[in-house]
Amino acid sequence: MNYRFDFGPIWDARDLIGSGLLMTVAVSLVSLAFSVAIGFVVGTFSASGSRPARIVAGFFVETMRNIPLLIHMYIWYMALAFLRLPAFACAVLGLSLYSGAYVAEVVRAGIGSVRRGQMQAALATGLTRVQAFRYVIYPQALRIISPSLASLFSQLIKDSSLASVIAVAELTYEAGAIDGQTFRTFEVYITISVLYLILVTIASQAVMLMPGARNETASSRFADA
Amino acid sequence: MSDAPTIQIRDLHKSYGVTPVLRGCSMNVSRGEVVVVCGPSGSGKSTLIKCVNGLEPYQSGSIKVEGIEVGAKETNLPQLRARIGMVFQHFELYPHMSVLDNIALAQVHVLKRPRREANERAQQLLARVGLADKHAAMPVDLSGGQQQRVAIARALALDPQAILFDEPTSALDPEMIHEVLQVMSELAKDGMTMVVVSHEMGFARRVADRVVFMDAGKIVEDASSGEFFSTPRTPRAAEFLSKILSH
Amino acid sequence: MPDVILKNLPFLLKGLWTTVELTLWTIIFGTILGAVLGTARFVRIPVLGVLSTVFVEFIRGTPLLVVLLMTYFALPALLGYKASAYGAALLGFVLFIGAYIAEDFRSGLRSVRPSLIQAALATGLTRWQVLRFIIVPQAIRSTIPSVFNQYVRLLKFTSVASIIGVTELTGAALLVNARDFHPVTLLATVAVTYLVLCYALSLVGRALYARLVVKT
Repeated sequence: MNYRFDFGPIWDARDLIGSGLLMTVAVSLVSLAFSVAIGFVVGTFSASGSRPARIVAGFFVETMRNIPLLIHMYIWYMALAFLRLPAFACAVLGLSLYSGAYVAEVVRAGIGSVRRGQMQAALATGLTRVQAFRYVIYPQALRIISPSLASLFSQLIKDSSLASVIAVAELTYEAGAIDGQTFRTFEVYITISVLYLILVTIASQAVMLMPGARNETASSRFADA
Repeated sequence: MSDAPTIQIRDLHKSYGVTPVLRGCSMNVSRGEVVVVCGPSGSGKSTLIKCVNGLEPYQSGSIKVEGIEVGAKETNLPQLRARIGMVFQHFELYPHMSVLDNIALAQVHVLKRPRREANERAQQLLARVGLADKHAAMPVDLSGGQQQRVAIARALALDPQAILFDEPTSALDPEMIHEVLQVMSELAKDGMTMVVVSHEMGFARRVADRVVFMDAGKIVEDASSGEFFSTPRTPRAAEFLSKILSH
Repeated sequence: MPDVILKNLPFLLKGLWTTVELTLWTIIFGTILGAVLGTARFVRIPVLGVLSTVFVEFIRGTPLLVVLLMTYFALPALLGYKASAYGAALLGFVLFIGAYIAEDFRSGLRSVRPSLIQAALATGLTRWQVLRFIIVPQAIRSTIPSVFNQYVRLLKFTSVASIIGVTELTGAALLVNARDFHPVTLLATVAVTYLVLCYALSLVGRALYARLVVKT
């Protein structure tokens, strides 16, 4: 291996990397907001007693999450080009629908794990159904699903790299540009990997800081036996 | 050699972190003896017998099984464990294996018995615990009492010098306790060396040679079973007995 | 069937076959890699255990596209070899999905009750025998659903290989589109094809699980 490492050109391109990083954060945060909204609505429908609601929600989830994210983006950007959506909006739409389907599944499971009696007890005290969800069911479900939400959010940040193919100038896109100018291929990609790693770590820790979030504990007993 | 104790425990100390669990326990179990260990929960009974086959490490003191120091570095624990059977509170049958495979596994891989011989032995032991027709069943399809009898057969399959029972009936429904105690009584009659952690005082009175009473990590009383039940020497044991016998 | 699909059917089918092939090879090698890494972490094998922890955490923190760009551009630049797009994609997918399977498998290994492990040790089995006969067989069964989720994810992710120039299903459709320009038809067809493939793969997973699951 006689490769000579040179991170100098990467440092010189720090402005590009910085703006790419900001774009990645922006795309991720906006998509996160939408996918959580979609996920809670669809997830609540699929956990509901109404059969038509369950079927519609189930169809949405299976369709949205079984189409590759890349295809989602191309559909908004190329197939629906007549809408003339900016690339940023296409990326957010694709990511939100795709991740929203996953959030919906997690929310459904979370609601399902709250005991049935809780809803009945809430209704019995005179709360409306919406209030019961808001004050009784969601808080309990959230505690259970927070680890899954954390990993979905991390996933979303990483998935946002695919926005580069529709020319959203996020981190991966800028990396390609810097690589083209400097030919420091390895240095560029290892740098953005580390940046993604940092973003993902911050994101998953942030979700785990939510009130009532569960922590993973206990290591393998076997290794000590 | 034959009158040396099968199990010899001397001044055993063990703690989890700063919490002491065993605080200087000593006892012997001779060949063919049946010893019931009882005491309130948290008194260290289960920990004590798990130290005997090295499932729990201990900090000081000594345990010798047929003269071999359990805690010594050079001791081959798998070999030692194969000579002491163990039966657990929750049966712990391997859920992904048939009853026959549960009993054959260690015979084949520890004792290196040929598969055919191991299966024959397993079948023979199943008959002995009254489950000859269940060899192909999966553990989940058996009742608790049946699972525990299979677990006893699994222990017996290694021709152990002694068997340790860790609360073998406390996870069972009342109607199944009897069938398991029945099998254990027969083992005792056949001369098996047994250490039984249990609250089954009827079994202790009928079958045990000795009763060991533990409290807070110490062996408080170690007496013949007749003596223990008629004239307990310590107030703690008397109190325990009156509580457990009153219902 | 629309004209643009019919006219280009052989080319698109060839792309589809590449997708299937890429998925199957990755499933085979990625599962092996994942099982080895997951076990190394679980048993805490010296050196290898730490290495797999670093590798798994690194890959799981990196987007798939970046992993592929690494195996296609960065690694060849670093080590001085010429990578084919297909080879780079396969290597990238194996490393990527292997890391995720490693985590799933490790949690499967950890889900075996400590008391069951004690019972196996009590019969005189060595630690390695307990791992082989008791822990691994149960972990494989309990990991099937999550591993098949990874396979389905992988199947969708193979589309990303088109970005580094592999002519799999998505790549083939994009090439056809560049010539004939029918984005709606082509992308809709591709989307439905992925849907069907993913659904079929998850059905296989469910059937396998139903067959092998151990009730407790």
